[in-house]
Amino acid sequence: MNAVISWPSVPVEIVRAAGLRPIFVRSGPEGTAATPVADEHLEPGIFPGRLRHLVDAALNGRLDNAACIILPRTSDPDYKTFLYLREFQRRGSARSLPPTILFDLLQSEGPDVRAYDAERMKALFEELSSASGRRASLDDLRVEIARTNAARSAVRRLVALRHVVPRIKGSEVLPLLSAFWQLPPNDYVQLAAEAADDIAQRPPLDGPRVLLAGAPVDGSALHAEIESHGAIVVEEVGPWGSGAAGDDVDSVGDPLLALADKYRRDASGPRTPVGAMRDSISRMLIGIDAVVVSLPVEDTAFGWDYPALRDLLQTRRIPHACLRGDLSDHDRLNTLIGAAEARHA
Amino acid sequence: MPDRSAKQLDATLAASAFQKQWFADLRRHVFDERQPYALVQADVPFELFDLLEVPAVSNQWWAAIIAAKRQAPAYLDAMSADGYHDGLCRYCSLGYASTRYRDVQEPPWGGLPTPRLLCARLTCDCIHRVFSLWAEAFGSELFEIDHPGASELPPRWWELGRHRWRELVEPHRLAFVASTLERLVERLEAISGRRLEREALRQRLEMVNQQEEVFDAVRRLIATAPEVPVRMTEQISNVMATQWVRGTEWALAHARAFHDEVKHRVEQGIAACPGERARLMWVGAGLWHDTDFYTAFEESHRAVFVWSMYLAFGPDGYIRYGLDDPMAALASRTASFNEYLHNPPWAAEWIVQQARDHRIDAALVLRPRSMKPAGTGRLFIERALEEAGIAVLPIEGDVVDARAWDASAARATVKSFLEARVIS
Repeated sequence: MNAVISWPSVPVEIVRAAGLRPIFVRSGPEGTAATPVADEHLEPGIFPGRLRHLVDAALNGRLDNAACIILPRTSDPDYKTFLYLREFQRRGSARSLPPTILFDLLQSEGPDVRAYDAERMKALFEELSSASGRRASLDDLRVEIARTNAARSAVRRLVALRHVVPRIKGSEVLPLLSAFWQLPPNDYVQLAAEAADDIAQRPPLDGPRVLLAGAPVDGSALHAEIESHGAIVVEEVGPWGSGAAGDDVDSVGDPLLALADKYRRDASGPRTPVGAMRDSISRMLIGIDAVVVSLPVEDTAFGWDYPALRDLLQTRRIPHACLRGDLSDHDRLNTLIGAAEARHA
Repeated sequence: MPDRSAKQLDATLAASAFQKQWFADLRRHVFDERQPYALVQADVPFELFDLLEVPAVSNQWWAAIIAAKRQAPAYLDAMSADGYHDGLCRYCSLGYASTRYRDVQEPPWGGLPTPRLLCARLTCDCIHRVFSLWAEAFGSELFEIDHPGASELPPRWWELGRHRWRELVEPHRLAFVASTLERLVERLEAISGRRLEREALRQRLEMVNQQEEVFDAVRRLIATAPEVPVRMTEQISNVMATQWVRGTEWALAHARAFHDEVKHRVEQGIAACPGERARLMWVGAGLWHDTDFYTAFEESHRAVFVWSMYLAFGPDGYIRYGLDDPMAALASRTASFNEYLHNPPWAAEWIVQQARDHRIDAALVLRPRSMKPAGTGRLFIERALEEAGIAVLPIEGDVVDARAWDASAARATVKSFLEARVIS
């Protein structure tokens, strides 16, 4: 049975321990696929493509056979989509929709947040067990944590092959990394290891190293656009690429508390604390020749980080381009990569 | 026909004078006596700040003052020139812009002094970032009240809020917000060197209840009078001047004076717009840069704005009976502000009920240009109003940013709408 999830800040360990298969909704190859039914109900310029897809699928009956739909509180549009889906169900326009669950993960740094998140983690565990009909135990959850940690290790090996001496383009590696969220961990470990063995045999790639910052992208179209200019995207902000794994989840103590800590700390999105985001980007800049800042039309948060990031890049003499709305600005990317090549040389 | 720009109520003049004097006193206390004060979002519990003698200035109130004095464009131009894109919320960030770009122009009333503390509820995704930047610009401390999401939204929330408020907010959310408010009290106590007495908080909330009961009576007067006795803009001036200091002696006294003046006008048959032909409601935050918009259709069409959320939300959103645990009562009010005002099902059903109670003929619904989260739920509201037989005209604009606002075109659009759908 599938659990349809709007963003990877929902712990896949819990989803799997409950006997469900996580399916993540994404924007599609170009992020522009039509969503006519959703467009009748969602205000324009607010909801990203992945959520428009989710609502379109929900209202067209394509999610009726899922065990549940899970939306995390890690962005306002996700939360609003939860409220909208509930309202569609209440009004009878989506009668056969499966249970819609809000995973209320908070990310602020107040002293009460940790306990709150652990409690919400427990509630999610119970709700998903109810949705699947499988009464999973904490030991089941520990097993899933161990399996997923093994998959994280496989992710980290792939990530190492795109850093420092990159042997694979960002547009090629992103699907391999993002598969972490959806494939069963044992399968992922095997497939990722095979891929890593193959990539390790490749010669190093030449070209300026680019960091993709700003709002996280959930597909490889922008990577491909940047790389068509001769650069290599070696890192990006967000959960779909190098950030997919992060550190392992502690499997010794309370698994619910450990998952709460992990996902609160690592969930990447518009509610990620600004200090954590700055620290993370500062670490990513090592060995970077240029930065592309992606700010799509629906952005309400990442644009606030841009002037400080710009100042930091100027201090470090790293060229950058800020793409607003049109994320395939050919001329600007061409100019940027030209500057990056000079720096790289 | 009454002068469109003149204030019709003495209470309005008193409210405006009070606010100006309050701010001047605040500046004097901060600069001369080094008293700490706080800059806060409009939805935080002001009562805690006031009881601990850390006066609180509302971010939204300050933004409205800047916009009303036509000073917003210069700050917002500076913000754009600095790299903040035009899709970012201008309402919540105009105050920050007035601090970061303080050299652009002389701010209203001498400007904001440096606060000891900033405090915000993390409702929209931008709030943490805007307030973090603002706190950095001042070099001040930031206290955040996180906003857990609601999973249960029982129907007709305004009927539960007064006596059955524990049923409105899920227990885990209520406990979290109450606990966070306790932490806020600890910070305010550390800053002020005072202790919060629970009995004083309970008494203050009882005073808030009394004040909102007075506003409830005003609302009934407005809803039931043959013609609206007080313009919407003057309703807002009187309500908001008291809400920022709610539960104080002045606030209660002013609410009563406002009520008595409105009652007198009703008894004397005095209308804001004599011979009214269309009763309008405004859905959304106010157009603070063009408040004349709200009286622009009186003379030409006898169309008068009767309702905005500002008066109506006081009694429905703030009254809490059963104050044995005053912090929990305060938390129950704080936890779901956004859901009441913007999100389905709560916002639409409340606004439709208000439209019916006020015999509304047509609704003008703000489509905010940059306040994106405030723009959610709008389609549900518009459709619910139309289904209730109330004509809807969406108005695209920004509440503080006048730069893309074409006042003449907006007025022409409304007049066409009134002639086509409202006034037969």
